[in-house]
Amino acid sequence: MARKRTASGGDGAGEATVDLTPMLDVVFILLIFFIVTAQFIKEPGVTVLRPEVDNKSEIKPLAILIAIDENSDVYIDKRLIAPAEIGFTFKQLREDNPKGEVVVQADVNSRAEVLVDVMETINKIDGATVINISAQKD
Amino acid sequence: MRGRSSRAPDTAEVDLTPMLDVVFILLIFFIVTSTFAQEKALGLEPPPPPSRDDTPENTVPAILIFVDESSLITVNGRPTDISSVRANIERVRAETPESSVIIQVHPNTKSGVVALIRDAAYNAGYKDRVNLVLSQVE
Repeated sequence: MARKRTASGGDGAGEATVDLTPMLDVVFILLIFFIVTAQFIKEPGVTVLRPEVDNKSEIKPLAILIAIDENSDVYIDKRLIAPAEIGFTFKQLREDNPKGEVVVQADVNSRAEVLVDVMETINKIDGATVINISAQKD
Repeated sequence: MRGRSSRAPDTAEVDLTPMLDVVFILLIFFIVTSTFAQEKALGLEPPPPPSRDDTPENTVPAILIFVDESSLITVNGRPTDISSVRANIERVRAETPESSVIIQVHPNTKSGVVALIRDAAYNAGYKDRVNLVLSQVE
C-alpha cells in the first residue's frame, strides 16, 4: 500500500503545486489599498521655482493644483488656462473634489497681479480666507 | 471507456495563476501611477472684497509695506531690503502693538517677493491681520 503510493507520488513530481491562494489574498489587499488611496491629482505639468520660506506646513489632503509659471501663464491639468477661464476650470475641478485643499504653485518670478487674481478667484468660489502658496521643501 | 473516472469533481481545482498574473499587473500599475504628491505651502491671505461703504476701517494703525514695480520695498515710507523687512515690522509693532500689516504691491512685482514679505510677517508674529492689496495703476 505504502509502496504503491510512493510509486504514484514519484512519477507525479512534475505536478507538485504551491497553493497560491494566500498569496492572492495578500496581493488583492495590496491592490485594493492602492486603488482606494489613489487620489488622482491633476498636476499642472510645469516646473516652477518656489519661494523659500520658513513658515510652511504640509498640505493634506491635496486636491487641486494651480500653477503660475515664470511667464505668468496659468496652468491647470497640463493645460494653459486663459485668465477669464480660471474660475470656470476651478469650479469644474471643485465638483470632482469638494473637500481637498487647493495649492497655488506660483513661480517667484511671476507677476503679483496674476497671483492676486488667482487668489481672488479661489476666494470667490471657495470662500477660503487663506490661500496656500507652494513653498520649497527643505 | 469503462474506467473513466466519475469521481473527478472531488479534485476539481481552479488554476489561479493567470488571475494572479492579472492582479499583479494591476497592482504594479497602481504602485507606479501613484505619485504621492506632497506640497508644503505658505498661507497667504487674498485681498479683502471691496467694501461698499466709504468709511474705511482706518481706526487701527497699519504697517504699510509698499512694493513697487522693480520689487523695491518700503516699510512705512522707509526704503528697506527684503532681509530687514522683519526687523522693520517688529520695530513698528513694538510702538503700536495693535497695528495690522498691509502689503501693497505693484501688479508687476514678483510673486516671490510677496511670499517672502508674508513670511517675514509670520516671523514677526503676524498669524493673521495681514492684508494683501494691489496698487491701482492707471
